[in-house]
Amino acid sequence: MKKRGFYRKLAVSGIYKNKKNYLPYILTCVGMVMMYYIVCFLADSPGVASIKGGEIMQMVLSLGGWVIGIFAVIFLFYTNSFLIRRRKKEFGLYNILGMGKRNLFRILLWENVIIAAIALLAGLFCGILFSKLAELCMARILGAEGSMTFYISLASVRGAVILFAVIFLILLLHGSREIYKANPVELLHSEAAGERPPKARFLLALFGVALLAGAYYLAVTIQDPVEAMLLFFVAVVMVILGTYLLFIAGSVALCRLLQKKKKYYYKTNHFVSVSSMAFRMKRNGAGLASICILSTMVLVMLSSTICLFIGTEDMLHERYPRDIVIQTDSVDPKEYGRVRQIAAEVLDSHGLLGENASEYRYTYLDGFLAEDQLLLDRQEMENFDINLTDSLREVYVLPLEDYNRMMGTQYSLAPGEALLACKKMSYQYDTFSIKGYGTFTIKEQITDGAPAMGSAMASIVGSLFLVVPSMDEVNGINALSKEVREYYSLRCWYGFDLSCSDEEMQKVAEEISARNGDLRENQGFAPDVMTECIERDRAEFYATYGGLFFLGVLLGLVFVIAAVLIIYYKQVSEGYEDQGRFAIMKKVGMTDREIKKSINSQVLTVFFLPLLMAGVHMAFAFPMLRLVMMLLGLVNTWLAVVTAVVSYLIFALLYVLVYRGTSRTYYGIVRNH
Amino acid sequence: MAILEVNHLKKIYTTRFGGAQVTALRNVNFTVEQGEYVAIMGESGSGKSTLLNILAALDKPTAGTVLLEGRDLSKVKETVLAEFRRDNLGFVFQDFNLLDTFSVEDNIYLPMVLAGRSYEEMKARLTPIASRLAITELLKKYPYEISGGQKQRVAVARALMMEPKLVLADEPTGALDSRATDELLDLFGQVNRDGQTILMVTHSVKAASHADRVLFIKDGEVFHQIYRGNSTNQELYQKISDALTLLTTGGEQA
Repeated sequence: MKKRGFYRKLAVSGIYKNKKNYLPYILTCVGMVMMYYIVCFLADSPGVASIKGGEIMQMVLSLGGWVIGIFAVIFLFYTNSFLIRRRKKEFGLYNILGMGKRNLFRILLWENVIIAAIALLAGLFCGILFSKLAELCMARILGAEGSMTFYISLASVRGAVILFAVIFLILLLHGSREIYKANPVELLHSEAAGERPPKARFLLALFGVALLAGAYYLAVTIQDPVEAMLLFFVAVVMVILGTYLLFIAGSVALCRLLQKKKKYYYKTNHFVSVSSMAFRMKRNGAGLASICILSTMVLVMLSSTICLFIGTEDMLHERYPRDIVIQTDSVDPKEYGRVRQIAAEVLDSHGLLGENASEYRYTYLDGFLAEDQLLLDRQEMENFDINLTDSLREVYVLPLEDYNRMMGTQYSLAPGEALLACKKMSYQYDTFSIKGYGTFTIKEQITDGAPAMGSAMASIVGSLFLVVPSMDEVNGINALSKEVREYYSLRCWYGFDLSCSDEEMQKVAEEISARNGDLRENQGFAPDVMTECIERDRAEFYATYGGLFFLGVLLGLVFVIAAVLIIYYKQVSEGYEDQGRFAIMKKVGMTDREIKKSINSQVLTVFFLPLLMAGVHMAFAFPMLRLVMMLLGLVNTWLAVVTAVVSYLIFALLYVLVYRGTSRTYYGIVRNH
Repeated sequence: MAILEVNHLKKIYTTRFGGAQVTALRNVNFTVEQGEYVAIMGESGSGKSTLLNILAALDKPTAGTVLLEGRDLSKVKETVLAEFRRDNLGFVFQDFNLLDTFSVEDNIYLPMVLAGRSYEEMKARLTPIASRLAITELLKKYPYEISGGQKQRVAVARALMMEPKLVLADEPTGALDSRATDELLDLFGQVNRDGQTILMVTHSVKAASHADRVLFIKDGEVFHQIYRGNSTNQELYQKISDALTLLTTGGEQA
């Protein structure tokens, strides 16, 4: 009969009448569906898969799909509970006018169905519309030509429909639970309830401060990249907890402390602001902390992914110090000379010349570093109080003559002396000893003087380069490691650059590799030879960091949308709360100007505190981020600083714009009394 | 000496789109003497609220003047109006208008803080007022923790803090139960005996029967007034009831 239409109409008019609250919510739903579809589409699209490095990118992206999905659940739940709170009064009225809870549920059901339908239809439409654009952007990042074919990923459509249907079902269940729990009088008054004066919870506040201080201390003091990587998530959790505690308890505690200072508190400028702030922070602490954390996340993610993406070429060159690197498992000049000869022949046949060539002999060890002593034997570890993960070190030992020749330096060493260079670690002792071999006095520690060694960059542990007086020492150290670890590692490193096309470079590398293989299999040449070429990994590097960058931008966008929405709802709810207060203050003798000034300063504090705090978080996170990036091979600190600062400035600008836009709504509500 | 003089007060509202004009006050004349306790009665729509708003300098009359200690309210500059109100007038409202973000004590201090007085001065002034109004125990509490009658006593304390020339009370018993009403009216009487001039707008006969003089407003004019003379509250109550009956039934012919 007509009845069904009746509930639908009530739902539609309910949404329409509350459009100030519902429109942003619906837009967010649409945006979430769109983002989810685009990410899933890219992870699924054959167009992307066919690009060089596309498969790695798709792996990164499907991970991003999960992140967006989980975030959508949490975030839509949060905004929806805000909406339910606002609508309780209306439901209370219907309830008193004789509508049962079952009827209210039907309104709620219709509401959810309508919003879900709009969100899915519009979201998928926009998603499909923009997916091609996203694909082209991605192709561009990977340095490939995008195809012009248009494609709709049905699997992604299905995925989005299922995910968001489930989310809306959860929201519906939550909403109906709220209705079933409440009685009509409560429903009617739900907005006015609960305005108790906030208690100052000093202990919690102190705990929050301690957590933050601890996290900051961790971030600033950690020197070791591996440790930074491991502790990064610990620090993140501490910062998140600390931020929530500080915003929720700390702010109120601070206001309370200020109120105790009579001289300060009973001043025209402070009186109203301080006492209102305590209430404001009690209501908004959690929301503001969320804004703060979202902002920090956006900043950290954007700045680090941008930085990594820009620095991809740098990292590539760290990993491949020369275009072609050939390593021979031998320090016999006859043998590695032969390998060098082969390379020269191949280059000759291509009419190329190896540029920037260098060559050195070395031995490789790994062990645990206890203060200034390297332990090769795992058993001995137990006698020392050392941490397994951050004391594991790789040590490259090379003779002085090779080092001087390669670097063009004039160092000289007496017996028992050595030069030392570090990668991804720092070393502060004057001596270096290898257990079972002997002790070297460090004559000089050479910063930025590590020889070209890609594996030191690829490894996640710190590396030491030890330059010893003679090849005899190198041989001696190798003999020890052979004895303890049964591991033979005397090698010769040979690398050169080429100026030719990428394809030709790869061909050269393959030919060299093939001829060395032939040498070993058919001509009785004993040592193992390994050939590496920068071009082979270039696409992979760009796919990984380009994918991360792309995902960083997409997720950044999602988080920004979320932050905007939270700010908007905060403004709206603040507006309603302040309406009545405005009127009373006027009646008891505050001038319009005084009221406006006070409210303005409060609102500004409330909304710019998170931005400020995010900046502080970001600044303290920076040393840690830098270490983690170093681990990935990016050593350009300056680039990291610039991207971080630029990201923050752009974000701040965006934030101010959002604030300006939403504060108009706030003043609109407040003036309406 | 007259503390308040209202001469030929007229207020005409024009509806927003310039259509019909509504006359809220036609021609109101009365004076209030220093230390007097005056009640103004009238039905809804009689112009009571308009009158109070003009007396409180919240609204401007179309014609006529209001003199507070000889000073014309309409001549007070817009910029200092809030200050003027704060320094000269005390307000007690039907719905208390306490701020829920302040403790009781801070609510009372509010006008003084706004006026930039020192904490010591405020505290010194509050102590006797609080004990007179029996709210000393409540000072640290918050508005949501106390009853309606207590809230209204707090509001009275707030109105008295600035030692105003005139306390304007708008339906002060409107939201109170009968016991709290009695307490508050006794309190007003006591405050008045201490020398405070009070002007109260009400349509409660009981509230009006505590005043020295009752003015009746009808159709925008002072229609009638009753002096207490030597009457007790009971007798005054009877007189007011009679006058109201006359006002509603035979009023048109009178």
